[in-house]
Amino acid sequence: MARDTTALSRRDVLKTSGAAGVAGLAGLAGCTGGGGGDSEYPALGNYPVEGDEVVFGFNVPQSGSYSQEGADELRGYNLAVEHLNNGGGWVDDWEDLSGEGVLDKTVTAVEGDTATDPDTARQSATRMINRDNAIMITGGSSSGVAIAVQGLCQEEKVLFQCCITHSNDTTGSECVRYSFREMFNAYMTGQALAPVLRDEYGEDLNFYQLYADYSWGQTQQASMEQFFTEVGGWSQIESVPTPLGTSDYSSYLSDVPRDETDVLVLNHYGLDAANSLPQAIEAGLDQDMEIVVPLYNRLMAEAASGSIDGIFGTADWNWQLEDDASQSFVEVYRAEHDRAPSYGARIAYTQTLQYAAAVERAGTFYPPEVIRQLEGHEYSGAGLGEESMRACDHQAQRDVLVMQGASEQEQTEDKLLNIVSQTPRGDIGYACDAGPAAECELGEYGDE
Amino acid sequence: MSDEVATDGGAVVESEEPASGGSGGSALSRLRERDDFVVVASAAALVVFPFLLVDVLGAVGDVIGLSIGGYTGLPSLVLIYGIIVIGFNLLLGYTGLLSFGHAAFFGSAAYSAALFSQIVPSPLLMVVVGTLVATLLAWPIGFVSIRRSGVYFAVLTLTFGQALYFYALGPGSWLTNGDNGFSNIEADGLFLGALPFDAQLTPLPILDSYTVMYGFAAIAMLVAIWVGNRIINSPYGLIFEALGENEERVEFVGLNVFRYKLMAFVISAIFAGVGGALFVIHEQYIHPTTGLYWIQSGDFVIMTVLGGTGSLVGPVFGALVFEYVANVVSGVSLPAIGSIGSLWRFVLGAVFVTIVWVFPRGIYGAFADLAALVNGGGGEGGDSTDPAATDGGERE
Repeated sequence: MARDTTALSRRDVLKTSGAAGVAGLAGLAGCTGGGGGDSEYPALGNYPVEGDEVVFGFNVPQSGSYSQEGADELRGYNLAVEHLNNGGGWVDDWEDLSGEGVLDKTVTAVEGDTATDPDTARQSATRMINRDNAIMITGGSSSGVAIAVQGLCQEEKVLFQCCITHSNDTTGSECVRYSFREMFNAYMTGQALAPVLRDEYGEDLNFYQLYADYSWGQTQQASMEQFFTEVGGWSQIESVPTPLGTSDYSSYLSDVPRDETDVLVLNHYGLDAANSLPQAIEAGLDQDMEIVVPLYNRLMAEAASGSIDGIFGTADWNWQLEDDASQSFVEVYRAEHDRAPSYGARIAYTQTLQYAAAVERAGTFYPPEVIRQLEGHEYSGAGLGEESMRACDHQAQRDVLVMQGASEQEQTEDKLLNIVSQTPRGDIGYACDAGPAAECELGEYGDE
Repeated sequence: MSDEVATDGGAVVESEEPASGGSGGSALSRLRERDDFVVVASAAALVVFPFLLVDVLGAVGDVIGLSIGGYTGLPSLVLIYGIIVIGFNLLLGYTGLLSFGHAAFFGSAAYSAALFSQIVPSPLLMVVVGTLVATLLAWPIGFVSIRRSGVYFAVLTLTFGQALYFYALGPGSWLTNGDNGFSNIEADGLFLGALPFDAQLTPLPILDSYTVMYGFAAIAMLVAIWVGNRIINSPYGLIFEALGENEERVEFVGLNVFRYKLMAFVISAIFAGVGGALFVIHEQYIHPTTGLYWIQSGDFVIMTVLGGTGSLVGPVFGALVFEYVANVVSGVSLPAIGSIGSLWRFVLGAVFVTIVWVFPRGIYGAFADLAALVNGGGGEGGDSTDPAATDGGERE
């Protein structure tokens, strides 16, 4: 808040002078006549956009445990920028987008390193907003970071498009008006995974959880407990926190009671999961029980290689999906980077295009109007069939993939997981007054 | 440079210098010790600082095609860290105690200020409350840690700091909001919000990096410099310095070493507390990793050593370089190499090694040497070795 000083104060001046404009807007919207789109709204955040270029801020982890994810996200973002400016990929298929920039302005980007640390991420985002005049910030590969940055964006009145963030809190208790999430969350993972596991492993089992001790891990383990208990009639023996970034899990794993435990749930992600899963296999735990990794990602699957054989988990999206949108994305990505995209790249790409399309529909960069275009928007063509961006908590309602690790012989550079099922969005999700959404209060648009 | 010789030599040189030394040098050094001069000079520097950091560097950046200018929030951030390291330097540079747990005072002040803002949204009271909590916390931590010295002292302070970090992240998350970070800070301006922190101090568009927040931080900085200068130039501060040079001798003089060390510890914690509370007002957000993790303590050490221990405002230069590299250089994209991004710590490391290698007394020491060189060269040629000797004496 305090940091945005110049911009905001300049804005404040404009805001005061534009106060009449606001009043006018409220009363006689449209009567301003001849307003060529952008001049009819008061200054807010980094609106209006001056010059022929519009700046997007890509704030991704370039160091820390999630840096590989960050690199993949950036590939997706840069592809999106290229397509927005020159056409190609989904830009040709989405009717809102022209392939000639956004509202005839060329898209440029600034990059920053979140270091998977909330405060570093905020400072990086502050720089993008204050100095580089970014109109939209996107990125992050940790729910802690996403929550920190979306809070900042709400204060600064700059849109935040979440990238990889799976915690329930992002669109639950910590939700904000200026942030939207395409990715599913831990709650939906539980809903998609529990029935599959019940059918596979049976009912009335005992499960034991380890979870990464931060925002995501905490909500993740809570959701697993809820749905495994409800759906499968399973009972939890214990749920043990492990610090984020742990490399040696042997002491935690040796505490798992082998006789009682039927299913071991490893709520770890990225490098953490790449460490904990092989160590669990090495300790021979897979002989006595089933292991589940609720949220898969490519880094983990690659690092764990043979260990993931037959292990269930969920994923945001997978390049093996056969719908047109998925295939066209895989094709353009492969042409550029010579391998299949991970789901991080898809979310990055989708979130950027979503924002651009909403701006085109709104006909302005004015944030409240863009937000209204995103809220309740129904869309397809993002690789997961019919989706909608729910207005009450800004959480995408979409299908969730249940995945199973491929055997070592079956694995190739791209293919590490097999798709078990695509749980339709009707079977998962929650009402606006239930689950995480019940705790969500979105806050202001900024033009009230 | 061996301890004893330097100390003895220093004592001799210092006692001789006023008698034999040139009029210019000693007059300047006498002036430097005067409170009002120090405060006025610092105020002058604070007036031009944001303009140089944001606008001048921004203009230079436009010319050379790299975005090297700061953003408007950066000057205040530098000052906030500057206040902390002025206090930290009293401990490290003067008393010679290396604390690795000052994040504990920074973070606890930040959290208590943030929590207090829920009850009374007054920035001034937030600073008071934050500082008070840091002070009260420093007493027991200091009381236990000071009993050991060197590495043991550093590790003990580190342990206390980490204990608070884990508390804030886990069991204390009902209070601190844990890993989601605390962002419900209810203080957007001075005088019940009548002066919003992001409002400008002047209506001139050219000076738009001068904000109410900057003014607030600058006033706090001036107070910190004044207090720091008072302490250093008082008999009390002299004992701190003596402790840094030789603890045993201080004890032989009949002074209670433990008590003075504890006071030095508490005073430095007070500075860290003021900084922590200002930080949370500035950022409107605090997270256990930012506030309490040991890396934050390590950053204080780096800033202090980088800027130069053993001088009052030296560490502030360290804070400036550190924050500049972390916040601006990290976003620079070089033509051949590409984006610096995560390499910023590497860049900082290179700067650190270079500075410490070439100028053992840090950035401020480099300035002092340069000034001495210019003075010496301009004045009597024979004296050119003298400033170096004097500096060597002062250094220990």
